[in-house]
Amino acid sequence: MSAIHLRNLVKRFGDFTALQPMDLDIADGEFMALLGPSGCGKSTTMNMIAGMEEPSEGRILFGERDMAGVPMGGRGVGFVFQNYAIFTHMTVRQNLSYGLRMTGKPAAEIERRVGSIAELLQLSPMLDRKADRLSVNILQRVAIGRSAIMEPAIFLLDEPLSNVDAAFRAVMRTELKQLQREFRQTMVYVTHDQLEAMTMADRIAVMDHGVLQQVGTPLEVYNHPANVFVARFIGAPGMNLLPGRLADSDRGAVVDLGPLGASARLPDQLAAAARASSGELLYGFRPEETTIVKDAPGLALAVTFVERIGARTIVHFDAGSESVKAVFDNDVDLTIGASAIVSPNADSVRLFDAATGAAIGRA
Amino acid sequence: MAQIAFRNVTKRYGRTLAVDDATFTVEDNEFFCFFGPPLSGKSTILRLILGLETPDEGEILIDGKPVNAVSPAARNVAMVFQNLALFPHMTARENVAFPLVERKMPQADIDRRVAQVSEKLHIGHILHKPPAQLSGGERQRVAIARALVRDPAAYLMDDPISALDARLREETRVELKRIQRELGKTLIYVTHDQEEAMSVADRMAILEKGRIRQVGAPVEIYDRPASIYVASLLGSPAMNIVAGRRGAAGIEAAAGAIRLAASAVPEGTIEIGVRPEDLKVAEPEAGEAGATVVEVEPLGGYTVVTLDAGATRLRALMRGQPDIRPQSRVALRCDPARLHFFGQGGGVLVR
Amino acid sequence: MSAAAAKLARQDGMTIAGAKREPTQAETEASRLGLRLTLPAQILVLFIALFPLLMQLYISLTDWSPLSGVGWWRAGELWNSFANYTDLVSDKRFWGAIWRTAIVMAVCVPAEFLLGLALATLFADNFPGKRVFYSILLMPMMVVPAVAGYMFFMLFQSGGPVNDILSVFVGGPVTIAWLSDPTLALAAVMIADIWQWTPLMFLILLAGLVGVPEDQMKAATLLGANSWQRFTTIVLPKMKTIIIIALAIRVIENFKIFDTLYIMTGGGPGVATETISVYIYKVTTQDLIWGYVAAIALAILIVLSIAAVFAMKRMAAAREA
Repeated sequence: MSAIHLRNLVKRFGDFTALQPMDLDIADGEFMALLGPSGCGKSTTMNMIAGMEEPSEGRILFGERDMAGVPMGGRGVGFVFQNYAIFTHMTVRQNLSYGLRMTGKPAAEIERRVGSIAELLQLSPMLDRKADRLSVNILQRVAIGRSAIMEPAIFLLDEPLSNVDAAFRAVMRTELKQLQREFRQTMVYVTHDQLEAMTMADRIAVMDHGVLQQVGTPLEVYNHPANVFVARFIGAPGMNLLPGRLADSDRGAVVDLGPLGASARLPDQLAAAARASSGELLYGFRPEETTIVKDAPGLALAVTFVERIGARTIVHFDAGSESVKAVFDNDVDLTIGASAIVSPNADSVRLFDAATGAAIGRA
Repeated sequence: MAQIAFRNVTKRYGRTLAVDDATFTVEDNEFFCFFGPPLSGKSTILRLILGLETPDEGEILIDGKPVNAVSPAARNVAMVFQNLALFPHMTARENVAFPLVERKMPQADIDRRVAQVSEKLHIGHILHKPPAQLSGGERQRVAIARALVRDPAAYLMDDPISALDARLREETRVELKRIQRELGKTLIYVTHDQEEAMSVADRMAILEKGRIRQVGAPVEIYDRPASIYVASLLGSPAMNIVAGRRGAAGIEAAAGAIRLAASAVPEGTIEIGVRPEDLKVAEPEAGEAGATVVEVEPLGGYTVVTLDAGATRLRALMRGQPDIRPQSRVALRCDPARLHFFGQGGGVLVR
Repeated sequence: MSAAAAKLARQDGMTIAGAKREPTQAETEASRLGLRLTLPAQILVLFIALFPLLMQLYISLTDWSPLSGVGWWRAGELWNSFANYTDLVSDKRFWGAIWRTAIVMAVCVPAEFLLGLALATLFADNFPGKRVFYSILLMPMMVVPAVAGYMFFMLFQSGGPVNDILSVFVGGPVTIAWLSDPTLALAAVMIADIWQWTPLMFLILLAGLVGVPEDQMKAATLLGANSWQRFTTIVLPKMKTIIIIALAIRVIENFKIFDTLYIMTGGGPGVATETISVYIYKVTTQDLIWGYVAAIALAILIVLSIAAVFAMKRMAAAREA
């Protein structure tokens, strides 16, 4: 079994706690992304799974098997390093066959397996090239092939796309995902890029400051962020969050956003949940879930900046200490200095407890 | 105040043409961006402007005056390096003041200038800290302050924020744009990130192997790319390029999934470009060729749908989170007015 | 070919591979000026480098000796053409010295290399007290060779500490005459050399070892390589160049072994530890036949130069592969 279970896993470096107690279950054959900013503990978690670092506390199980004391060479995990760690003094063929040679497989089998993995990764024409003069794109495939040839049940990838240029990254994302379907292993993918996590992973574990924030499918973490950090981190741009407090108006329960006025009426369920919380709220809505309205209630805001990026136009609005961003199609007609009434779509509104940062109204 | 112009500038490194017959003009106060894949000549152009390289042919003009023979120090252009290159053993203030101290400027003048620049960049409150104690964005501003303190006519940046996290990059690019606006100085910027280029640039130049392929405002280039090369460089996912074939009912592309009236397609069209956001997915009508959904990638606010129409792979960018399942059959629709037609050699054809 | 294409082709000629290209007039002028400015310095350097060699060559073709009564520039009066060289071929003592030098080299350099590599491997990991051990380990290298010679001279006396320690193991008095026995004297000399120069080997190899990328070592581990396999498949290949350099330095230095040895044994007993440097020294200071000395020195220089060129070519070939 190649499911991975992390039980109360903790990592401390001296006084610094890199990972707070963490529980995570990664199913057999699942593509799990560990997502977070640098220093969030994602790489530490991965290194412990690989056996490069010892947990300070807690257990790591592969299926039923406890990995405590199992050295990294004995765990049978494939690992793709951020810089690929290709053996530059060897040819592509020698790189691919390395693991098989070291574990004493017969020459005929090695040749057959190298041949088929090279075919799969389109490395056949360059098998006898020296690995120190290859482009990043090829190096990456060599790194994947070198691990995949060992047919590990678990595959760990440490930001494998961060050295690839932007244009090629999109191609590699698709390729990686197809490879995972091909090999059907459990895949753990470390990244700081929410786009990579969203597009590739079956589920995402969002981390920050050594604390696991939320685990869920890409759409779960996007639609129902568990807290303010996840809300801001997922999405490009992240969720808009405006401070306010619950108020009653003739329209029903609304959020009083101070100088920005009042929000639209809250759905009853959300209002009920908000009533049960402490009072200070953060009113959240996705930049993509906004409409410019003429004679309807909304937030009257001034445009501070307009970014037109390909298919989307991101409009930045001045909202006091905060800035509100909204994403529109390119036909939007707003220029810097103009003002507009921005109305968040009702069912996209999320509320958070300002004190704890936790989402209100849904677990 | 600075206008920077290249007139037929060529620069070779051995057999390689790093910059090939480049002609362009960066206007005063413009945020001008060079964009292209690695080794397309972006950084060489910066080095030529700085005077770190001499052109093999052609002329470089700053404010209309030829500067080929002018030393880097006398050109009055400043550079913010990719790695920022702040001195770690100095405070932010010492870093900013460094170029002036080097020039042996009187201390009172140094203090005045540092104060002026710091105010513009909002770094007055962090001047006492060493770079190690600053956030990525703050370091960025200190590096810019150091470039600006000697009051250059123009400043150059070589991929200055590529080392930052994705999220921080989004914020920093807006900040850079704001700073450039407030300073009102010519800024020449090199990046390999298309989002960044489109976000910040007033105008941009698209490079391919040392040649300038198109110059214009990002919107212009995105909406009216001059060639397949330019079209595929901007936009994420990239523009779909499909072969157009003359059929019985007009022009057919993507195994019949896209059909166009012959009159809508200019003569000589070989390939048709469709931006993913212009490719609409609909219920197929009876007998329609259509396409198969291969992959659905949710981005949250958008969804990328990968489709196979015959042997042609297409990508559609849809708003929101549409309920589309892999393996289902769909029809493709597109507005002929939003298509791009490319002829022999990949050049755009105008209707 | 059109004019433009011809021009392009000419410019293209300026490749890194060094294909020929017509230099422009400005470039020719610049290089001429450069030559004029550096000419005096170049002549001086040439003179300093070449003069001793030419002088040697001149004297080696004569019977000149400081006792000849004429200045060295008049050595031509004692011309004997190639007699010194033909004498050399049949000089048994010379060949004996060469043979002993080769033996010392064949034992010391591999021993220093293996010890140095073992120590370097040990020091690549962290252990308590590493810095202190590191400093202690480097000390022999800092000792002046003459002092080291004196130290080992004392150690290997028949009433010296080496025999004292041995007697503890044997359980009775040991009075081995280390430096008067032909075989043991050579062994003692080699031990002293190994003691003094293993640290240098260690230092160079450690520098190479820490330069082996850690990620590649981890990758090898994850692919199932054990520590010996990692050593042979990753560490050694990565260190190839630095190993060749370390060996080359020690081979050259070892060929010139002199000071420690001379103080310990003076080349004796008899000629038992007489290496080539000791032999040359003796012929120079005792026999005073300088024409012959010059011939020996030149012969060795020529042989060494050929060996060095050969080694460098092999090294370059190894790097290409």
